[in-house]
Amino acid sequence: MAHDSATDDGLTEDSVGTGTEPDVRGVESRVGAWNTLSQIRGDPTALAGLAIISVVTLVALIASVDYYLLDYWLAETFWVHPARDPQEVEILLPPVGLENDFGQGTWEHPLGTDHRGRDIAARLFYGTRIAMLVGFVSTVIGLVGGTLVGSVSGYYGGWVDDVLMRAVETLYAIPFLVLVIAFMAAFGRNLTYAMIGVGIASIPTFARLLRSRVVSVREEEYVAAARAAGVRTRWIILRHVVPNSFAPVLVQATLQIGLAILIVAGLSFLGFGAQPPTPSWGQMLNQSRDSMLPNPWFSIWPGLAILFTVVGFNLLGDGLRDALDPHIEEE
Amino acid sequence: MLQAIPVIVGIVTITFFLTDAIPGDPVQIMLGPSPSAEQAAAIRAKYGLDQPLWIRYINYLGDVSPVWIAPAASFPFFTPEFGVDLGRSLYYQVPVTQKIAERLPVTLLLMVSSFAFALVIAIPLGIISAQRRNEPTDHVSRVVALIGVSTPSFWIGLMLIMIFAFHLDVLPATSLVLPWADPASVDAATSRIDVLVVAGEHLLLPMVSLGTLQMAAITRIERSAMLEQLSEEYVQLARAYGVRERTILSKHAFRPAQLPVITIVGLQLTTAIGGAVLTETVFSINGMGRLIITAINNQDYPLVMGTTLVFGVVFVVGVILTDISYAYIDPRVSYGGDR
Repeated sequence: MAHDSATDDGLTEDSVGTGTEPDVRGVESRVGAWNTLSQIRGDPTALAGLAIISVVTLVALIASVDYYLLDYWLAETFWVHPARDPQEVEILLPPVGLENDFGQGTWEHPLGTDHRGRDIAARLFYGTRIAMLVGFVSTVIGLVGGTLVGSVSGYYGGWVDDVLMRAVETLYAIPFLVLVIAFMAAFGRNLTYAMIGVGIASIPTFARLLRSRVVSVREEEYVAAARAAGVRTRWIILRHVVPNSFAPVLVQATLQIGLAILIVAGLSFLGFGAQPPTPSWGQMLNQSRDSMLPNPWFSIWPGLAILFTVVGFNLLGDGLRDALDPHIEEE
Repeated sequence: MLQAIPVIVGIVTITFFLTDAIPGDPVQIMLGPSPSAEQAAAIRAKYGLDQPLWIRYINYLGDVSPVWIAPAASFPFFTPEFGVDLGRSLYYQVPVTQKIAERLPVTLLLMVSSFAFALVIAIPLGIISAQRRNEPTDHVSRVVALIGVSTPSFWIGLMLIMIFAFHLDVLPATSLVLPWADPASVDAATSRIDVLVVAGEHLLLPMVSLGTLQMAAITRIERSAMLEQLSEEYVQLARAYGVRERTILSKHAFRPAQLPVITIVGLQLTTAIGGAVLTETVFSINGMGRLIITAINNQDYPLVMGTTLVFGVVFVVGVILTDISYAYIDPRVSYGGDR
């Protein structure tokens, strides 16, 4: 494990007792991040993933700025406002250039319209916002929780480890989707609880991964040195053990965002995600089930949107894995 | 195997308290919006809902565990209890175990067949991919695997229904027929063969829909595990001795490369259970997945707890099976030793 002199500086500057801890980590982590970035620069897989994520993030940001911006920018006829009163008549227009029983596809609705005559493109656009939000927030919850449990469990070992790992295994043994659904049934059927639920359900993955690394990192000499110098345990975990065990967790986090998007799409499909009229991809797929015969495109587009986004995160995750450590085991 | 017990107790605990937190009054669901006070009290007493939470928890643990010592008022102050009792479904008014016995085979059939489908496709695909590294075949299989792990299984289901049931009209889009079902109960079937054909037709689309994710994930692992084995010294030695590449692949590298595959199959189990919930919804299959969704929607506490518990047990059994096959493939791993 590569380790620079920053830690040694910290050890000479023994500040135990003064209450302030030595700031020794800044240099190292910056170097690490820079290395990662420069390594993935030459990797087409990671770059392709990064490009896809950038596009989707941009779309999500634009959709988040304000509904009004879009209204003015694209003129009212182009995007039927997703929050507007839905039309009661069924108008399932096909994408531009195609024709079905309801008429000819026009540029007014480039991807066609849904069962209430709403513009599919606009709803996909807004769905991006929810997918990205859910992906990031739930992963951060899982990451923080998993890091906490995994590092404490791995560093202390003994009965703490046993208790925490049994708890984590229990959480892991309840199927992800079932756990989140039960959680949402108990606390509320909305997006916030979907994010928290998916976050909690992903804690075991992170905790187990980090623990397996921490167990080996805690035996490293610099950790022993820090301990001998009287650095507080909390500080050792936070500043030495976790950062040096973090590479596989970072890879997993990237993949987890994609997974979270898939799972929340599934939840929305079952009616446990964002509630109508807020558009989300899974919910659109659910609504399209009765209209697949007259307008198959209504089901095709949201699926492609999910596929595109998740492919982005998987590509970046694979690229990061190759860049950070070619021998990280695949979980 | 003993480690499974605290995990199962943990599952019971989590589901019990989570289910208890579901808002709404089960008595109202059973009796309508405004039951009389006596009626409500009678129902509460019948189902033990008038007891405090922790008593209900202890009672539930006792009901669920196959062996239990229940406290008694007289000597010897306890009575042994045997058997598993998951309670009665509030909505269906039948024992939860009966409902689960009805639905579990359907879900197990779906899951086992989807894993079989995944393995049958993924193992050859991964090996070919590793063997022809960076050739067009490899690229195609990697792209297929990438798309496979990135596509929602329920969307694949919708697309399959659209193509094969609506447009080509060659396969049924809903429900599942058990291959061991009585021929008389299956439409247009007179013999066992007919039943098997009908069952196969019904199974095909849900199986592919659920199995694609597993297939893709296993292909990726198989490829990387195979590549790792092929770069080992013993393979180079075999090559130097002039052993044919086919023999190396099938005799030498294949076996050790399956260890990470087994790990991933075990880990994929929870994903597959979640996927089964979605697949059953898409194909209107009356399995465990739809059962738990209806149970949650109906606030059918005992049924929610029972189904979750059974899902957990299925997972634990799957993990134990994974451990056993580990020992089978790698003689160095002895079963019952360290994890």
